[in-house]
Amino acid sequence: MLLLQVIVGGLLLGAIYALFSSGLTLIWGMMNFINFAHGEFVMLGMYVSLLVVMYLGGGPAAFGFGAAFALFVLGVVVYLSLIRYVLRGPMLAQILSTFGLALLLRYTAFWIFSANFVSLPQTSLSGTINVGGILMPIPQLVAGVIAILLTIGLHLMLTRTTIGSQLLAVSEDRGAAMLMGIKPDRMQALAWGLSAGAAGIAGALMAIAYPWSPSVGETFGLTAFVVVALGGFGSVPGALFAGLIVGLIQALSAFWFGPIYKDIVVYALFVALLWLRPQGLMGKA
Amino acid sequence: MLLEAHAVSKSFGDFFAVRDANLSVGEGEIVGLIGPNGAGKSTFFNCLAGDAVPTSGKIIFDGQDMTNAPPEAHARLGIGRTFQVPATFEGMSVIDNVMVGAFLRHTHQGDARDHASRIIELTGLKAQMDLAAHSLGTPGRKRLEIARVLATNPRLMLLDESLAGLTPTELQEAIRLVRKIHEMGITIVIVEHIMEVIMTLAGRVLAFNQGHVIASGRPEDVVKDEAVIEAYLGRGSHRVRRRSA
Amino acid sequence: MNKIPALSPTVLLAVALLIYPLIFSGAFYLDVGVTFLLAAISASAWNIVGGYAGQVSVGHAMFFGLGAYAPLLCYKLYGWTPMAGIPFGIAASVALAILIGIPTFRLTGHYFSMATIAVAELIRIYFGTWDLVGAAIGMQGPATARGWWDLTFRSELPYYYIFLTVLAVLLSFTYLMERHRFGYYLRAIKAGERAARSLGVPVQQTKIRALVLSAVFTSVAGSLYSVKTGFIDPESGFGILVSVQMVIIAALGGAGRLYGPLIGALILIPLQTATNTWFGGGGTGLTFILYGGIIVLIARYEPGGIYDLWEQISPRLWRRKHAS
Repeated sequence: MLLLQVIVGGLLLGAIYALFSSGLTLIWGMMNFINFAHGEFVMLGMYVSLLVVMYLGGGPAAFGFGAAFALFVLGVVVYLSLIRYVLRGPMLAQILSTFGLALLLRYTAFWIFSANFVSLPQTSLSGTINVGGILMPIPQLVAGVIAILLTIGLHLMLTRTTIGSQLLAVSEDRGAAMLMGIKPDRMQALAWGLSAGAAGIAGALMAIAYPWSPSVGETFGLTAFVVVALGGFGSVPGALFAGLIVGLIQALSAFWFGPIYKDIVVYALFVALLWLRPQGLMGKA
Repeated sequence: MLLEAHAVSKSFGDFFAVRDANLSVGEGEIVGLIGPNGAGKSTFFNCLAGDAVPTSGKIIFDGQDMTNAPPEAHARLGIGRTFQVPATFEGMSVIDNVMVGAFLRHTHQGDARDHASRIIELTGLKAQMDLAAHSLGTPGRKRLEIARVLATNPRLMLLDESLAGLTPTELQEAIRLVRKIHEMGITIVIVEHIMEVIMTLAGRVLAFNQGHVIASGRPEDVVKDEAVIEAYLGRGSHRVRRRSA
Repeated sequence: MNKIPALSPTVLLAVALLIYPLIFSGAFYLDVGVTFLLAAISASAWNIVGGYAGQVSVGHAMFFGLGAYAPLLCYKLYGWTPMAGIPFGIAASVALAILIGIPTFRLTGHYFSMATIAVAELIRIYFGTWDLVGAAIGMQGPATARGWWDLTFRSELPYYYIFLTVLAVLLSFTYLMERHRFGYYLRAIKAGERAARSLGVPVQQTKIRALVLSAVFTSVAGSLYSVKTGFIDPESGFGILVSVQMVIIAALGGAGRLYGPLIGALILIPLQTATNTWFGGGGTGLTFILYGGIIVLIARYEPGGIYDLWEQISPRLWRRKHAS
């Protein structure tokens, strides 16, 4: 029974991993670019939620939208002011750009919010419900379910809507997309907005259920790398499955080996992945 | 036969970029590959160079099976290539660029530099020897690429549109350079759009369309081939041509 | 008029570094000098794989930490003089470099960078739980010297000259490497892998060699650190600050240039010392914010660092000078 609870808990957290990782994989698939500051986007989503609750007195819907919107704007700004310039440059510049951004965001957050762990005050979502003998905290349950829905929604948006196909067109063949009248620069900015927005909402969902500090960004960033590598280059469905798997593995590791090991196992999984199946689950061999 | 390709196909998913292409190049020949854009000649070219692995078929160089060999192995065995969009080492000087090629056959810096200097003289780049590659224009870069490959002492050179985008004077110089390289005993396979280059240099031509080889033979014959004209100008155009003759 | 022969910058630099402690002999200045040398060594080591070959490691602390732990572990377990542990640190770093290099260098550059962060973090967390190496508390070296070979000196002066020697060896090695085929191949890989392969450059093998060489020197730097400080813990060995500092120093001065890391250290170490002194404990946080900002600016405007900037500006300065 306890094991089942651990499994469900892991999957619910994994769903949130899936949501923010799908943002990372979208950028990777589209521009062959890894955002080393993606974890910090999630972290900022959590703090935006806190600020909305503290200063605007909003509920989950309010801070959810707030985080999504704020991070969407940040994503677009980051692309327009930084990313689109380094894309044309050497690899060193590309990697340093978001790596430096990560440091900037992380330590500014430490500066402003201090290193203490915080959590959201009790919201309308609290308490636990009993589903077939498994006790599930309602915040975790709601957060996880919404995360899955949003991830699926993102995938549907990319594959079924016009704007989605325009985004995919740019990632497949920039030149051809331009000939069709699609502006790659605009699409790429939009992708960054979506990616950051996904991270922001994921942060808000995470904030509902778990405490955090500015340090979580680094861990989330690495987790996103593992999920994205496992799920395959540019694949949102891949990120969904991989996110759930990673969440599950983490929960089981913590349960069997101790809480310290939850991160170690995930990073070790990443190294194993590089050796054995770098293209991930859904990638082509 | 120095280079042979047997029934080479390359597909990306369901799409066949190249289908059942055959080629045989004898030592000392100059063979041209022509065809409209998207005809598959570049993909076929990349298969010959080791940059792409054929989905099926075989590629044999000097009796050795090169089908799955990586580009490094190609270079070591004596196949060199240039790139359609010049891929010179931008931040490095002209001589350093050529030295990278020379180092394949010379371990010592001194020997590599001597060899590179000779190649630079041969290709007419002496004046720009110490300049950074990015300060050369496109014609200069194309010439540098050729010099760089030449420094690896290739037996076979694959030239990918190395003569495109040149002024008439530059074009004549480039054709002279290719002839000089040929006279050194190097076999050449050249992908080109410019008919003058093909007609002047190539002893034999292969025409591609939609992944297939649709004609092969002497340049003057292939150019008059109906299928080739149709490929470039569209269906029925060969009839128009005959009527006006 | 007789021309004064121009003194080569290398000679001037060597002389300046040699006589620095004689002029600035106070403990504080000596400490800054030693910190500067150590930073220059680490960053120059990183430069081999990150600057010349263009393979950006953002977790190089893993080699530094292994090099730092090895001497003190040998002392703790067997009572050996810490110096004896240096080869073990090197061996472990080489093994780790190969373990990471082989799978990741087959793939695009991002995988390597991601792997370096993941592995550095993994090791850091693990060492924090491993009792053998002191877990979160870490380990210490000999409190008092049992002989000169323990390298436990009261004054920092001997350390200064030891570190200076190591730096000289590393820079000489890098200088020779630049002129060797290996150095050309590294630059070719950085400038264009596809073209490099077509010229017969064994790309994967070369990258792994570069990583191994870099790991060896980084490990030595770590060993020097723990021998001098007499103390190591997971944060000071494997922490992200260690990795970041190497990268920013090399990138600021000029990644892929012989003296790039030295120039970067010349600017950043005094700067860091200043912010730490002014802001006290909160200084580390501010240092990181500053580092983050500098890294972003370098990436956006001048990836070639100060070296490149100087090369762009100085011709114009010369012209103006001659015109007047």
